[in-house]
Amino acid sequence: MGENGYLEIEVPILVQSAGLEEHLHPIKASSGYLHTSPEFALKRVLAMGLPKIYSIVPCFRDEELGCHHGQEFTMLEWYRAGVGYREIMVEVADLLYRLCSVVGVDTEPVEKLTWADAYKKHTNSLAPLDEIEAMRVWVNDIEPKLQAPTIITDYPSEQAAFSVVRGDIAERFELYWRGVELANAFTELLDPVELRARWEKSGESRRLAGREPHPIDERVIDAVAKHPRAGGIALGVDRLVMLLLGASSIHEVRLPG
Amino acid sequence: MVYFQFVKPGKGTAFTRTKLKNMITGAVIERTFRTGETVGVADVEEFTMQFQYDDGDMYFFMNMETYETVGISTAVLDGVEKFLIDGLEVQVLLYKERPVAVELPNFIEAEITYCEPGVKGNTAQGATKPATVAGGAIVQVPLFVDQGEVIKIDTRTKSYVSRVRK
Repeated sequence: MGENGYLEIEVPILVQSAGLEEHLHPIKASSGYLHTSPEFALKRVLAMGLPKIYSIVPCFRDEELGCHHGQEFTMLEWYRAGVGYREIMVEVADLLYRLCSVVGVDTEPVEKLTWADAYKKHTNSLAPLDEIEAMRVWVNDIEPKLQAPTIITDYPSEQAAFSVVRGDIAERFELYWRGVELANAFTELLDPVELRARWEKSGESRRLAGREPHPIDERVIDAVAKHPRAGGIALGVDRLVMLLLGASSIHEVRLPG
Repeated sequence: MVYFQFVKPGKGTAFTRTKLKNMITGAVIERTFRTGETVGVADVEEFTMQFQYDDGDMYFFMNMETYETVGISTAVLDGVEKFLIDGLEVQVLLYKERPVAVELPNFIEAEITYCEPGVKGNTAQGATKPATVAGGAIVQVPLFVDQGEVIKIDTRTKSYVSRVRK
């Protein structure tokens, strides 16, 4: 990261608000939460005027446990001012191939597919209209087939999270490798009004599901209003290490807590 | 449920991918449940039963709670019969009073009824030979183990653990 001009930022882990998304469940501390990613802190730093920043840091998510999930895991997240998600694609692919060559792992060239084309290619039909059904098909029939490094783009706008939306398509991509989701990237949303609306909507869905809404962090809304156009990405380090070493679970490559 | 994996698409709700085995037909199906989905609990009961004898097709056990004798076929035993020794206690799962699965203790001790002679002093790491134990199962044992010896077996992996000094 340093070679590419990125500056490492030490972010707070104990935070006032741990996320935006409906399906992210933070771990509560006696005051505040453990962060679910360094996203909010890094956006505030981006707004302070540092153009290329990253953090590699433990993150915490409740109710996630499996061979590719842990309540504690390590995230590498970086942001770059002045670019969109396409430039970030080049950087993450470069990182993957450099690490493969360091470890001596051979892999196929990157494939690019839109979200809708992934359904056509791997299920011979369109994505189901029902969002939950579409996700069920995704995890059952599509994810396991994304073996070559694959960049999925053009997510439906309902799955936009923090990304810019054009028409009904979110400017967001995910990187898959060996059937495992490795990274998620955005052209970052710059509209504080839209951000507040998404935050409130997720809060409402969480309330309806009987969960505590994520508090709206005004400093993050301010940061989004101030920071320049930027691309950003979050990458699961444990999953990457697992795949590079040929392990079958992230728990084989982490010291249990 | 013979397999499960937690999965969660990037911005979506969580799912659990499962493989479910029909306890009567043995057929395995895959189903993916969304977090929060519920299913009914099967009407099953588990009993400790002691192995008594077999007639080649059926294996007979005594239910240690009711003292009834229950016959179980090799189709249901599914290989377990090869580890049965007189008096061994196993867990039997009954579905509507019909045995559907039999579980061995994690570790059992069994006598080796046949293997090639031991090689004295050969403690080479990893070198093994097949040995038949009482009941008929064949497990891989280290070369220094002899016929007539009693060994401890991990029934989950069907593998040799150690010799048992009597």
